[in-house]
Amino acid sequence: MMKKMLLAAAVVAMASSAIAAGDPIADRKDIFKGWGDATKPNAGALKGEAPFDLAKAQAALKAYSDGVKKLPALFPDTSKTGGKTEALPSIWENKAKFEGIFAKLDKDATAALAAIKDEASFKAEFPKVLGNCKACHDDFREKK
Amino acid sequence: MIEDKNGQKVLAWDFPTRAFKWTLVLLVVSAWASNKFGASMPGWHKWTGYAILVLVVFRILWGFVGGSTARFVNFAAGPGAALSYGLALLQGRSPKYLGHNPLGGAMVLALIVMLGAQAVLGLYAGDEDRLIIDGPLARTVGDSAVAFAARWHHRVFDLLKILIALHILANLYYAFVKREPLIKGMATGYKPAATYVDQAQAQAGSPMAALACLIAALVIVFGGVLALGGRF
Repeated sequence: MMKKMLLAAAVVAMASSAIAAGDPIADRKDIFKGWGDATKPNAGALKGEAPFDLAKAQAALKAYSDGVKKLPALFPDTSKTGGKTEALPSIWENKAKFEGIFAKLDKDATAALAAIKDEASFKAEFPKVLGNCKACHDDFREKK
Repeated sequence: MIEDKNGQKVLAWDFPTRAFKWTLVLLVVSAWASNKFGASMPGWHKWTGYAILVLVVFRILWGFVGGSTARFVNFAAGPGAALSYGLALLQGRSPKYLGHNPLGGAMVLALIVMLGAQAVLGLYAGDEDRLIIDGPLARTVGDSAVAFAARWHHRVFDLLKILIALHILANLYYAFVKREPLIKGMATGYKPAATYVDQAQAQAGSPMAALACLIAALVIVFGGVLALGGRF
């Protein structure tokens, strides 16, 4: 009896979390869009086209770490197509590699957050974090 | 074997031509490696690209004023000549060339043109959000132009891989099947004295001319990018 109730509770919890998650394609696109917006001033600073702003660098790094924890759950098997997704089928064929990049991004962003104190450390550390963007886009994002 | 039976050898490639050639090989490897392994170092790929463009411009200038075997007039052959040489090669009765044979010359021109195109495309290319890597001239054009350049930067690389594979295979064929030391010749500059149909021996280009071509190439590439509104 106890077991059945627990099971029922688990089913309800899973169902409600699925509802709360809503549309995984829209949700993950929101995260990526947020990352892009947060990255923009920092990419400009790296190129010397915008002033270095420590707060903006830290905000971007926190956005990466926060978002990347949610992302692995936002690529269920049911979300391979639709919603103008740019996700390539290779994601579901190489799930371990795909999620490995997320784990590395989380680690690198956390490390960079601790290491970046000024413009010099920003220029040394921030590109290491962005390298994960390229690694993932190369293999898993549709090319236009 | 560089020397013939009598130990006679003749100059085939002067130093600037060889230095160009092998530096370009290293830079092409660097361009590939920096894309593959340098995701966190966009500068590595970009500066490799600038260096390749400088070398390509140098080689074009050197093709007019350089050593005799490096000059375009001495090896640029039409498709007819390339075809008849190719047929003779298949029949095992191809004449020997000190410099580039008509097919090899066509490959050299194709490689120079495509590497130049690839480098120029790279100046305008970028990732679609322009956040990870973009060329110094991407900022001077719109998003669709950057996307176009990026797409062709990928396609031309695919083409270059085919050209480079053919180029290497052809040279291995000459070295190991036909026993003509083309690779060694390009390394040392000398080939065995023999009856060559193009030139008996090469006239080396002037080192001062080579330096002038290199300086001119640097000015054209870096001055050109700056003049077009680019930033490094």
